[in-house]
Amino acid sequence: MSTAAKMATGNVTGKSAWHKYVFTGAVILLCLWVLVPIYLLLVNTFSSPEDVSGFPKSFIPNIDTGSVEFFLNYAGVGQALWSSIKVATVTMILSIMAGAPAGYALSRFEFRGKETFRVLVLMTRAFPLPLLALPLAVMYLRIGLDDTVLGLALVHTMLALPFAVLITFSLFSGIPVELEEAAWTLGCNRFQAFVKVILPLVLPGITASAIFAFVISWNEVFAAAVLTIENRTLPAFLLQGLGNAPLHLKFAGGAVLVLPALLFIFLVRKYLFSMWGIANR
Amino acid sequence: MMVKKSLMSLALAAGLTTLGAGAASADVLFWSTQGNTVEESQAMRDQVLAGFESGADFQPSDTGPWITRIEAELQAGSGKIGVLGSLHGSLISLGDGLADLSDVNTDGVNSTFLELGKLGTDQQKYIPWMQATYIMAANKKALEHLPEGADVMALSYDQLIEWAKNMADATGSPKFGFPAGPKGLKHRFFQGYLYPSYTNSMVSKFRSPEAEEAWNKFKELWSYTNPGSTNFSFMQEPLLTEEVWVAFDHTARLADAFNQRPDDFIGFPAPAGPTGRGFMPVVVGMAVPSSAPDMAQAKELIAYLSQPETQIATLKATNFFPVVDVELPDDMPAAVKLSGAAIAAMSGAADANPGLLPVGLGDLGGKFNAVYVDSFERIVLAGQDVRAVLDDQADTLRKLMEEAGAPCWAPDADSEGACPVE
Repeated sequence: MSTAAKMATGNVTGKSAWHKYVFTGAVILLCLWVLVPIYLLLVNTFSSPEDVSGFPKSFIPNIDTGSVEFFLNYAGVGQALWSSIKVATVTMILSIMAGAPAGYALSRFEFRGKETFRVLVLMTRAFPLPLLALPLAVMYLRIGLDDTVLGLALVHTMLALPFAVLITFSLFSGIPVELEEAAWTLGCNRFQAFVKVILPLVLPGITASAIFAFVISWNEVFAAAVLTIENRTLPAFLLQGLGNAPLHLKFAGGAVLVLPALLFIFLVRKYLFSMWGIANR
Repeated sequence: MMVKKSLMSLALAAGLTTLGAGAASADVLFWSTQGNTVEESQAMRDQVLAGFESGADFQPSDTGPWITRIEAELQAGSGKIGVLGSLHGSLISLGDGLADLSDVNTDGVNSTFLELGKLGTDQQKYIPWMQATYIMAANKKALEHLPEGADVMALSYDQLIEWAKNMADATGSPKFGFPAGPKGLKHRFFQGYLYPSYTNSMVSKFRSPEAEEAWNKFKELWSYTNPGSTNFSFMQEPLLTEEVWVAFDHTARLADAFNQRPDDFIGFPAPAGPTGRGFMPVVVGMAVPSSAPDMAQAKELIAYLSQPETQIATLKATNFFPVVDVELPDDMPAAVKLSGAAIAAMSGAADANPGLLPVGLGDLGGKFNAVYVDSFERIVLAGQDVRAVLDDQADTLRKLMEEAGAPCWAPDADSEGACPVE
C-alpha cells in the first residue's frame, strides 16, 4: 500500500516502516554529527597528555584533570571571560538599537537612496579587519578609546550591523502594514502602534538577531587582539596561544572556549528557533 | 633575595636609578611574539617576570596583531607597550621606531648577535634575548634501521635518505616527517640547511648546478617522507603519535615530545652535504619602541632579562637558549638536555657551516621566504622541472635582493652592494 493510499484511508501516522527508519536514522546521524566531536573534545580534555597522543584510545577516559586545572589557574582567564561577556553584551545592545530602526525604515518607508543604503550596509563587511585595524588602532589611541570595552564593542557592532539590519528588515516586512494601519484607525499614534502591535510580533526575531550579534562578537579575534591589551576577550586571549600549544592543552582550551558558548545557546535556544519560525507555529 | 640584590646592583650599574619612579608607575607591558603558547606564557609570568621588582606584564600575540598594534602605537606617538620581544626579522621592519639601547649593560651577551641587533645602524636597536635553532629528532625505534656504518650524530644527506628508505621498507609506511604544513618552518630548512650544505650559499648560488643537485636529493628524500607532512606544523605531535619516527624542526617545536617521553626520543644534528653541515641559529631580540610610556623602566626590564639567572629561567620557560655566557645547571628539562646535546654536536662539528637569518631585507623577508617555499611547492609537490623552476625563482630572488639592496650574509661571501644571484 502506498503512502498516499495509507493517508487516504485515514492512517494517523501516515508513514511506512521504511519512512520511519530513514527518519530515525537521519535524526541519529545528525545527533552523532554534533555530539561525537564534542564527546571527543571532552574525553581528551579529561585525559592525561600521554593518553591524548596515545593510540588506540579508550572510549571512557581515565579522568585526569591536569589540563583543565591548568586553565583554571591560568592567569587572566576569568577576567578575559568577563571582558568577552561585557563586549558581547554591549555589541548586542548597540547593534539592535541601531539595526532595528534601520530595518524598520527599510521595510516601511520609501526614500531616496534606499537601494544604495542597503548595499552600503553590506559594504562594511567588504573590508578585511586586518586592513582596518591599523588606522582604527591609531585613532583609538589618540581619542582614548584604546583598550576599552566600548571601543571594541563599536568595532564588533560594525561587524554585526549588516546582519541586524537585514534580519530585522525581513521581520518587519513579514508583518502586514495593515495591522499598523488598523491600530492607527483605533486611535494609536505611530509610536504606540509600533510598541503595542508590531513589537510583540517581532520580539522573538529581534532577540534572535541580538543573539547573532552576541555570537559574532564572541568569535571575533583579530580586532580584539589589536585593540585591547589588558581587557582582552577570551578568544583573543586564548586562541592565539592555543594554535601552537601541545595537543592536550589544545583540547582543554577548546573545551574552555566551547562550553560558555554551548551554555549560552542552550539558554537562548527558544529564541534561535523563533528566528527560523519554528516556535511561532 | 639573591635575585633582588643582583637586580639592584645591575640597575645601578646600568645607570638606571629610577627604581623609585618605576615602582610608582604601572607594570611594563612586554609585547612578544615568542613564548605565545599558553604553557610558555604562564611560565614566563610565573617563573621569569615575577622576579622583576617594578612589575611586568607579559602579553604574547601572533605576529599579525603584534605588528599592527605596535605600528599603531608608533603612529599615534603614544601607547602602552614598554618592551617588544620578537624575531630578528620582525624587529627589522620596525627599524626607525626603535629606541637606541646603547646605554643598557650588555656584558657577556654574544657579540655576533649584538652586532645583528644594530640592524646596520650605529645604534643598538635591539638586544638579543634568546636563541634557538633547528635540529633533528628521532624515536629510538628508528635507530635499528640506520644504514650500516652511519653515526646518527654525524649523518650525511645520503645516509638520511637511505635511513628514511629503510624505515619505509621495514614498516610499510614512510616514517620521515618534515614540517611542510601551513605554519611549518620549511623555508628555514631550505635556506639554512639544504642550500648551505650543498652550495655553501643561501642566495648567490640559488640556481647553480649544485642547487639543482640539492633539490633532486630532497625530492628523493620526499619520496620516503610521510605524505601527512604537508599538514605538519609542529613535529612534536606526529612524533608523539608515532606517525613519524624521524623529523626535522625548530627546537621549541620538538620540546613537548622530548619532555613528555624523554626516554623514547633522541635529538641529533642536521645532516651534512658536500659543503658542510649547514645550520641556522635563530635570534630573538628585545627592543623598546620610541612610544614606550616609561623608557627607563623598559630598559630596566631588558637589563633584568639579560642576567644569567633570568636567562636560565627563560630557557626553562620557553625552551629558547641563553644568549649570554652561562653555566647550565643540572636540573634542566629533558628537552633542554636532548636538544642541547644535538646543538653542541652540530655547532661543534668539524664540518659545521652556520648561516644567518636573512639580514637587511626589512619587510621583504616574507617575500624572500616565499621564493623558497614556492620552489619547494613547484619542484617537490607539483613535480615541475628543477632547472626551469630555479631559473624562474632566481629572477624573483634577484629583483628582491636589488630592491632591498641587502649585501650578502653568511654563508655567502661578502658583497659590494646587493647580494648577487649568479
